[in-house]
Amino acid sequence: MKDLLTPRERFGLLVIDEPQDRVPVFPLVTAHAARVAGISVREYYTDGAAMARSQLVAQETYGIDFISFFSEVGLVAEALGSRFDYPEDDLPLLVRPKWTELTQLDDRVANPLHDGRLRVYLDAIAYAYEARGDTVPILAYVPAPFTTAQQLVDQEAFLLGLLTEPERVKELLGYATRSITRFCRAIIGAGGLPILVDPLASGSVISAEHYRGFALPSEAEVVRYLHRYDLDVVLHICGDTRATIGMMPETGADLLSIDRIEIADAVAGAGKTCRIIGNYDTSAILLSDPRTIERETTEMAAAGSSCPKGFVAATGCEVPVDTPPDNVRAFVRSARQAGRNPEFGKSGTVPRSDAANASRYSPRFHGRRRRV
Amino acid sequence: MSQTGQTGRTSETADWTDPKPARVTFDEWLELFDHVPDELIEHYHYYDNGESWSKYLFPPQTFAIYGARHLRRLKFDNSLAALRMWGLVQNETERLFRARQIGRRVIATMGDLGAVPVIVDSFPGCVAFYPDCIWWTPFVMESRVLFDAAAELGIGDATCFSRAALGAFAKHSYFPDPDLVIASTGASCDDYSGVEQLVQSFAPDVLWVEEPLRQECRIASDECRMGVPRETQAAITFLTREYERVVERMERLAGHAITEEELREGVRRANRVRKLVARLRELTFRDAALAALEMMVVEFGSLHYYSDIGEWTAVLEHLLATAERRAARAERVVDGAALRIIWVTPPADPLLLTYVEDKGARVVGTEYVINQALEVMDESRPPLEAIADSFMAASLIGTSRARAESVIGQARERQAEGVIISGILGGSHCAMEARLISDYVKQEMGLPVLEFDVAPPSNEVGLQLQTRIDAFLEVLRSRR
Repeated sequence: MKDLLTPRERFGLLVIDEPQDRVPVFPLVTAHAARVAGISVREYYTDGAAMARSQLVAQETYGIDFISFFSEVGLVAEALGSRFDYPEDDLPLLVRPKWTELTQLDDRVANPLHDGRLRVYLDAIAYAYEARGDTVPILAYVPAPFTTAQQLVDQEAFLLGLLTEPERVKELLGYATRSITRFCRAIIGAGGLPILVDPLASGSVISAEHYRGFALPSEAEVVRYLHRYDLDVVLHICGDTRATIGMMPETGADLLSIDRIEIADAVAGAGKTCRIIGNYDTSAILLSDPRTIERETTEMAAAGSSCPKGFVAATGCEVPVDTPPDNVRAFVRSARQAGRNPEFGKSGTVPRSDAANASRYSPRFHGRRRRV
Repeated sequence: MSQTGQTGRTSETADWTDPKPARVTFDEWLELFDHVPDELIEHYHYYDNGESWSKYLFPPQTFAIYGARHLRRLKFDNSLAALRMWGLVQNETERLFRARQIGRRVIATMGDLGAVPVIVDSFPGCVAFYPDCIWWTPFVMESRVLFDAAAELGIGDATCFSRAALGAFAKHSYFPDPDLVIASTGASCDDYSGVEQLVQSFAPDVLWVEEPLRQECRIASDECRMGVPRETQAAITFLTREYERVVERMERLAGHAITEEELREGVRRANRVRKLVARLRELTFRDAALAALEMMVVEFGSLHYYSDIGEWTAVLEHLLATAERRAARAERVVDGAALRIIWVTPPADPLLLTYVEDKGARVVGTEYVINQALEVMDESRPPLEAIADSFMAASLIGTSRARAESVIGQARERQAEGVIISGILGGSHCAMEARLISDYVKQEMGLPVLEFDVAPPSNEVGLQLQTRIDAFLEVLRSRR
């Protein structure tokens, strides 16, 4: 069935608390796009034009509601001096962090035009924006300070530092934040909407106490920066966030992208203030069969309809590189179908601001849409 | 310290000092925005509330990220007032949805470009807007989406760009489904009447208003203004009755019996806007205090005040304070020695204004088919009659000669060196009118005139048109 709205129009309604024709559908297709386009994974993350073309092909092939650029979470750390290897057909691997222990920091701030592969992302964003920016939102994942810090310093030393040298950890987070916000600024200039991604702040890695003490404040600082531009900020934390979901809205994020947590729990913890993005199991999309995926995705979309601020039908994390395309198609097809809103656009059904929807529309948040 | 606007914030405060006036690129505004204090961003809100969603002081990049791709190619005034203006204008779609969310009634006014919103905005809790203005959206987004949507409903490329409004109705995502559509038709643009007819299938409630024909010129002729000829008075009486129907319908919708004083206050508010615009036109056309792009946005603000008359008035006050300061200091945003041109019919593609200024010209007068929205109303008359009377100055309800006389009047006053007429392919009033205006201007003043049809949305001014504009400006230069 042909969509009434473009992905950009649909997203625009979502972020101002308006009903859409259907839920936006967002399997997190990142490096999997290289497979769709028939290029190597290394070419994907080292060549901006190749990255963009792959994403454009994937977006069109699957009918995804976003174009999203990402390869791995070491991006900013690499630009600051950590060393990565580039396997021919796999994602970059951290070979040597910039520092082996928490130490005296330098005063470096990554230059998005020259350092590491930041420029690859900017080129990709600019390319895709020119090609399809009128109809599809262009998103760019930016590793958050907490995750970036663990790519700058030996991870064990960093995690130990949370207990023994908290002030030094905070200095390191500030160090990472300066480069991250500068990168965000460059993304904004290129036409992309930064998504903050903080997988190493998940409950699978750290405690809720450490999340509140370290990860959350640094996420909030980046969110504050992005809100200077009135952007709708997505915070993606994959893994287990059951213990922290209630805190995540404190970052100021407008949309939370979740993984290993029940949607009902996410709604209970954050649904009153944030739109929820989630959360189909990425192992299942890799290993399962289309029929099962369709059934489970339909169930997920039904659960998502309980989100008072809105829902995006997504995978919990990246679609694995070697996922069978038919599985992704099954996910998209069923999410689109299950998330359809039959009431949308019916003339004469103008909602009035009565007591019931006054609370639904209570404009507490930072939703954005503009006349263009 | 410069004058304060309604919200008490100026371009030169402890928080911010405008840089030397200039037109800056998209990227340069990003640099400038780094220096805008958070306090200023927090200060400006539309609908006079303190909610986070109603902030609007954001740079062009914000709107570009949400699809306004053309902004990357324009040049902008580098003042805080201009940034504020762009912010308010660019988030109008969100503002209309927010209006509905906070319980206001949203009324689509169509076709008359400036009159009916004076009535609508006199009603408490009602917001008027023009879907007509969506015609810029395909250009600002560099997109065919709305044209394609209109084409699927039967209006294709042979119709004026205003067909984008139909696409927007069909999409239900560019403005909330209106509580009421007030569609003006009659002695006006044929194409847009066709658009309005098709809109009816998307709107449960449409009130049609008939616009009368103006049987003689009253724009440029002082003699006509001295007295009201019988035919014109009859038209005003007719239109006043039409507006009485609008009032009745609005009263039923709003559940509010409006008083004459409320209507008078509505006229006064609209006049405040029109007077501010008149002064800005003077400072811009005479002293180059603003660039052509910002001035076009200012002029079109007189149509429906970008859905918030209070905030729009404050923005205009802020712009005027900036322009007055520049004029007092003999600072110009465009070279005062640039070639002086009059622009006829608004360019659907705003990049054309940037291009012409980049090439060494400046706009010293306009005839954007919205004279009716610029004319100050007579506050001593009964309000509906005053609105009807000012509408009789409308560009499109009379003869081409009347438009031409307006152009000639401005050209003489500002010593224009040439006239550009940017037509609209399919615009019924353009095809013949451009030639008539052109001939009349040449005959009366001997000025060179460049006529062209604006190309569909694109990411650049087409090379052929660039060549024509360049050659035209070269001719003007050679005549100096």
